[in-house]
Amino acid sequence: MNFYGFILDNTGLVLEYTLNHISLVAVVLFFSLILWIAVGLVISRYDRIAGTIISLGSIVFCIPSISLFGFFMSVPGLGLGRRTATLVLVIYAMMPLVRSVYMGIKSVDPSVIDAGKGMGMTGLQILFKIQVPMAWPMVFAGIRVTVVLITGIATMATFIGEKNLGRLIHQGITRGNADMIIAGAVIVSLIALAIDYIMGRIEKKITSPGLRFEAGK
Amino acid sequence: MIRVDNIKKTFPGANSPAVDQVTFNVNEGNICVFVGPSGCGKTTILRMINRLIEPDQGDIFINGKDVLEMNPATLRRTIGYVIQQIGLLPHRTIEANVALVPGLLKWPRDKTRQRVLELLEMVGLRPGEVGHKYPHQLSGGQMQRVGVARALAADPPIMLMDEPFGAVDPIVRIRLQDEFLRLQQTFKKTICFVTHDINEAIKMGDYLVIVNQGRIVQMGTPIEVLTSPADDFVLRLLGDDRGVKILDLTRSGSLMESFQAPPKTSAGINGCIVQAIQPVKIALEMMMKNNSDQVGVCSGDKIVGILTWNSIKAHINRVSGDGP
Ligand SMILES: Nc1ncnc2c1ncn2[C@@H]1O[C@H](COP(=O)(O)OP(=O)(O)OP(=O)(O)O)[C@@H](O)[C@H]1O
Ligand SMILES: [Mg+2]
Repeated sequence: MNFYGFILDNTGLVLEYTLNHISLVAVVLFFSLILWIAVGLVISRYDRIAGTIISLGSIVFCIPSISLFGFFMSVPGLGLGRRTATLVLVIYAMMPLVRSVYMGIKSVDPSVIDAGKGMGMTGLQILFKIQVPMAWPMVFAGIRVTVVLITGIATMATFIGEKNLGRLIHQGITRGNADMIIAGAVIVSLIALAIDYIMGRIEKKITSPGLRFEAGK
Repeated sequence: MIRVDNIKKTFPGANSPAVDQVTFNVNEGNICVFVGPSGCGKTTILRMINRLIEPDQGDIFINGKDVLEMNPATLRRTIGYVIQQIGLLPHRTIEANVALVPGLLKWPRDKTRQRVLELLEMVGLRPGEVGHKYPHQLSGGQMQRVGVARALAADPPIMLMDEPFGAVDPIVRIRLQDEFLRLQQTFKKTICFVTHDINEAIKMGDYLVIVNQGRIVQMGTPIEVLTSPADDFVLRLLGDDRGVKILDLTRSGSLMESFQAPPKTSAGINGCIVQAIQPVKIALEMMMKNNSDQVGVCSGDKIVGILTWNSIKAHINRVSGDGP
């Protein structure tokens, strides 16, 4: 009568759901990082559209996930399954990612940019050699929030056919099986923590030691 | 070398121009110092030279070429720039900061590295000690030295220095000034130097440009400005010790009464006290120390004349017009 026991009794099923869950999160992260970091970089150079894009991200973020899954499921060509799940989760990742990239770039000390310009760096050199590396701590904070968020919301994708840990939770609720619910929730949390830990290690590698004092580490 | 012709700049939204009717030349190998109160437009003038700010009107020529026709990034790589806020790249090591412009110019790695080590040494930093540190690990004075080294890295013929020794205490500032003047004796770079400290201006400048409210109020060598200030503003800027500042820039030899022939005895002169090339200020100091009102002036170890308190007083009265 404990969730640990439940996992041991259903290893095959739990393992399948866990792997499905991780692979969905990984695919979503892959597309989100490419797409939203690029968008963040672009709007950091075009202030006029930045406000609109960031507001759009925030509005989408406020829509309940279950309705978003439902809506996209009914779009022809998407339907039940991974394609819709990926799309919806990528949309959810927009707000934290675009925002953190934009804020990170904009928070770079203007006198440092000025120095770069004064030394003869071009606009793109300033972006990639000064702004991006200096924005890393903030961008990583955004990525880590996104990871936790996506791992959690991914459970909802069970309603459109994803066989992931959300299914354990969902079925646990319908059957009144608390161990099943706890097993699902605990594994989801562990996945989020593990990815967050890995991200933390990557962050340490990528962020210049010259910036760590600023991030308070 | 640098010719600035009647430039004007009004920032968007400002009522009056930040810089107006500014015209000056900087000769090759000279330090031209821009001095004036905070907000008078010094930084704006400097930044128009490397096109960080575009003038609304007027022309700027470097070696006869109109800067407005050059590619801004290319232009800036040939002009060393020490910015007022220092602006070191916090995510790069000190070595990498100094190597910035050589990197942009695609110097070979070995050449860059050698140059960086040489420069750190030159500005008085130990490459082995600070080279691998990050900017936040340095003191204010050390960061300013790095800022100067970074501007010098690609050996640009022209330097723009905006309060390069601003963020340090007076003692360190004097040391940095002395070191820089010593370097300049061999560099012979053409330098535009901004400060709001009149003493620094007089010390560093071959030529002074005094700016107030966006306009030039006076130009000239330090001694010209000291001896004939254009108006009350310049007079106030020079301070109450204008006479002493003049004596600091006057050589003892120029005020002495020279001997027709070397005297047989040095009665009352106490031998060689000051050198003819030393400032009169030193001679005064020696008079006070020896409790005498005259000193012997020498060239090498040969006595060539005598400098008296009365002739110093007469000189001050003559040039500053304060006396009877
Ligand atoms: N980018 C800008 N936009 C608008 N106004 C500016 C800008 N830069 C300078 N100004 C204004 O132009 C005037 C001259 O500024 P500038 O920075 O050239 O002064 P400064 O002589 O260098 O002063 P300080 O000694 O304090 O550095 C000031 O009134 C300032 O407020
Ligand atoms: Mg200034």
